[in-house]
Amino acid sequence: MMGQRRTAGPTASFSSKTKDGVAAGQQDSTKHNICMVSDFFYPNMGGVESHIYQLSQCLIERGHKVIIATHAYGNRKGIRYLTNGLKVYYLPLQVMYNQSTATTCFHSLPLLRCVFVRERITVVHAHSSFSAMAHDSLFHAKTMGLNTVFTDHSLFGFADVSSVLTNKLLTVSLCDTNHIICVSYTSKENTVLRAALDPEIVSVIPNAVDPTDFTPDPSQRDDSKITIVVVSRLVYRKGIDLLGGIIPELCLKYPDLQFLIGGEGPKRIVLEEVREKYQLHDRVRLLGALEHKDVRNVLIQGHIFLNTSLTEAFCMAIVEGASCGLQVVSTRVGGIPEVLPEDLITLCEPTVSSLCQGLEMVIARQRAGTVPPPAAIHSRVRTLYTWRNVAERTEKVYDRVAKEVVLPLDRRLVRLRAHCGSVAGSIFAFVAVLDFLFLLLLQWLIPDSLIDVAIDASGPQGLWGQRRARKRELNANHHEGTGTG
Amino acid sequence: MADDDKFTDINGKAIFLECQNHSSFCREFTVSAPKVSLLRVMVYTCSVWLVAYVVFFLTENTAVLSGAIFVTLVGMLLHIHFVKIDQETLLIIGSLGVQLSSSYASGRESTTFIEMSKIKDIVINEAIYMQGVIYYLCILLKDPTDPDTVSSVVPLFQSSKPRLNCLVKVYKSCQEILAKC
Amino acid sequence: MGADSGPGAPSAVPWRKVLYERQPFPDNYVDRRFLEELRHNVGVRQYRYWPVVREASLVAQQLSCVAVFLTLWWYMYEGQLSPFMLLLAGLMSALLGYALYEALGGSTDGRRTRLADLQSAAIFLAFTFGFSPVLKTLTESVSTDTVYAMSAMMLLAHLVTFPYTQPSPPGSLSLNAALFGSVCLASRLPGALHTFAMLTCALLVFALWPCLLRRLRDRAEWGFPWAAALVSVGGVCGLASQSPGGALLLALALLVLILLCPLLLLWLQRHKNNIHGPWDEAEIREDLSRFLQ
Repeated sequence: MMGQRRTAGPTASFSSKTKDGVAAGQQDSTKHNICMVSDFFYPNMGGVESHIYQLSQCLIERGHKVIIATHAYGNRKGIRYLTNGLKVYYLPLQVMYNQSTATTCFHSLPLLRCVFVRERITVVHAHSSFSAMAHDSLFHAKTMGLNTVFTDHSLFGFADVSSVLTNKLLTVSLCDTNHIICVSYTSKENTVLRAALDPEIVSVIPNAVDPTDFTPDPSQRDDSKITIVVVSRLVYRKGIDLLGGIIPELCLKYPDLQFLIGGEGPKRIVLEEVREKYQLHDRVRLLGALEHKDVRNVLIQGHIFLNTSLTEAFCMAIVEGASCGLQVVSTRVGGIPEVLPEDLITLCEPTVSSLCQGLEMVIARQRAGTVPPPAAIHSRVRTLYTWRNVAERTEKVYDRVAKEVVLPLDRRLVRLRAHCGSVAGSIFAFVAVLDFLFLLLLQWLIPDSLIDVAIDASGPQGLWGQRRARKRELNANHHEGTGTG
Repeated sequence: MADDDKFTDINGKAIFLECQNHSSFCREFTVSAPKVSLLRVMVYTCSVWLVAYVVFFLTENTAVLSGAIFVTLVGMLLHIHFVKIDQETLLIIGSLGVQLSSSYASGRESTTFIEMSKIKDIVINEAIYMQGVIYYLCILLKDPTDPDTVSSVVPLFQSSKPRLNCLVKVYKSCQEILAKC
Repeated sequence: MGADSGPGAPSAVPWRKVLYERQPFPDNYVDRRFLEELRHNVGVRQYRYWPVVREASLVAQQLSCVAVFLTLWWYMYEGQLSPFMLLLAGLMSALLGYALYEALGGSTDGRRTRLADLQSAAIFLAFTFGFSPVLKTLTESVSTDTVYAMSAMMLLAHLVTFPYTQPSPPGSLSLNAALFGSVCLASRLPGALHTFAMLTCALLVFALWPCLLRRLRDRAEWGFPWAAALVSVGGVCGLASQSPGGALLLALALLVLILLCPLLLLWLQRHKNNIHGPWDEAEIREDLSRFLQ
């Protein structure tokens, strides 16, 4: 999935580049230069990471120029290329907590400015509200007069102190962002409330699943038993405590039932205790952490996919489960009711009794043979969520944003103070002024004219594709070369 | 035959690129930075002495003054001998190898030679340098055990740091020679 | 999916809050039903004034308890109260309290026998008596100002960390802070017997009295405000006999606590705006540990 990493690619056949590259760029005036920024990217694994990667690939396919900026992961720092010449900047910024960088509002400006200028970025697209780097980049992009888009991938409550503080920061960060994308309608409502936004500037574009990765294979099932599959991180928010109640309840009732649980996390101990206490070692299998490519192999062994999440903005897992032809049973929380049609999913309340009831109903149907065949379910799900569709809809957001003006500093200050309350608004207006002065200093030290424009090798017409076609393997698969010089 | 071009380095200072075609298999590229400017030497020396005089005025210790003179002299010597590189030369001889030499302001020269059999390619690469991203030219060295992989990278023109247009010129020229052998 | 900009053409199909269907609306379409599941202040308790006053009296009486203890210490320190008198009074009130405790309780919890209670009391008394000379000299090398400051800090910590929702048994941090403060103060008294009497008294005030009060609150609700009022009045009067200014301050503090703070709570409660909706993290309300027992 990650493609080959070839560092020296774009420059090796320099001569042929300019003509085709420029021609491709000028065919359509609505092509954008997009920079995706998030703390979360490969080698870290998760929903946000794969969203950024897949969306970038589809946008490149549609002729846009896309680069990704993230922080350095251990030895992986510098500039890397992924499939189709997708360029990733692993910037050396200090990681503070949970793979999120520390933020001072200023220290990331020189590096991000250099990236934005040399890549001639027009739209900065930040991902995930947990990522400090995403918020930093939004802040700097607005200072530099670039259009900004933000995608929120998560839901947040309003009750406790920490959410009050983070919601205030989100208000500040999003109050002058051009457009916001949410992954479900529930997530949109949540974000609009949290950041006090005009709902008109919030679009709903769901996540997608690559249907070719998740195809059913009923021959892998053991039809003498009924297998319930759970694939999730084993953490509290995924409702693993509920799962710990469901397992003994159902296993005592149905002797032909078995559980297959993929994933790792702090709540694994709960499942292990249950397994120990009820002597279910042969019927509850804990597979540990799964790689993305192994998920399908686990899913196709089951009849029923169970999701016990307590909160979820979109939930890709249930779509993956349904795509593999499984019956899906899930809690009715967050955006989950919006994701699958009623006849493909059984929704339950987040309690052990309700989930058991739902599962028993599906087990009965499975025994009676009244469930649709996996291939039928797959064919219905495969067209629901595709990355091409996501890219098309995101493109429309970029088109809209590109027509909008970025607030100049004076109006930005007014907006911050009017929108974020007098105290926080004034503080961040002050920070915005400092950021602007810092930018002026940087522009005086290193004028934009001194920053070399980066060569774009991505895209179907780009150098990357040509080079692959010519099969001239210039193997430059080294690690040291991309490190900090 | 030789041609001389004016470029700038990544900080906007003027540098000169001199290309000499000795034969169709042998080319020499010389990137030269401006000489040590007398004005800057004066400014540095004067500022150190001024600080030393202020300290002397407060402490009335003459050792400070002699120390300052000593520091400026030694600093100057070290700078021209180890830091300030006047010109960097890349001599590429097809089928034989690449010679890299840099001459310091003091006249000291350091030279390394890389055999052609060890060289995989010469490419332009990107790296994060200080608080920015720059292009640089580098030689990729083959891993002796596995000729398809790259074992290490030798960056070129490390001191002068020319901008991309200059690098591209050298790069194309080098590729012509590499293609022939 | 329709274009992103411009209002969606009014179509016959109503908008549905689903993602799996391609609907003829732009992605940033805002329906009338937007935020219809938003709920305000779900499960917020509406307070009434007098019940809040009643609960607040618990805080007030705890403050008075500290005042009562300090008054007793003061009398001892000045030599106006002999340790025999204090011990006698302590014994009397302990017996009275124990009798009341037994009279009010005695329904289901037959876990501790009287013998066990007696045993614990005997052990505590014996140890305190034995160690009182040690405790007496414990803080000799520390300056008196430091000891006073430390006791003040500790008693304050006791008041802050006291578990007002569940007064029995007092939380370990709260009880430890109070006892540490008492030891500090007791070590400044003239004799070892004084120290012993003071510590016994501290135990009565800070450990046993909250237990009795809790029982009173559970079993005889009418008695609780009277008990709280009694302690409060006792605290103010006791302090008044030694320091009228202090008594005035204490009385003011009690009035603010009992009468004004509940008013403030009621007033702030009207401004409460807690929003709930489908995005809230579901709570697990069941007791799931039963599966592991």
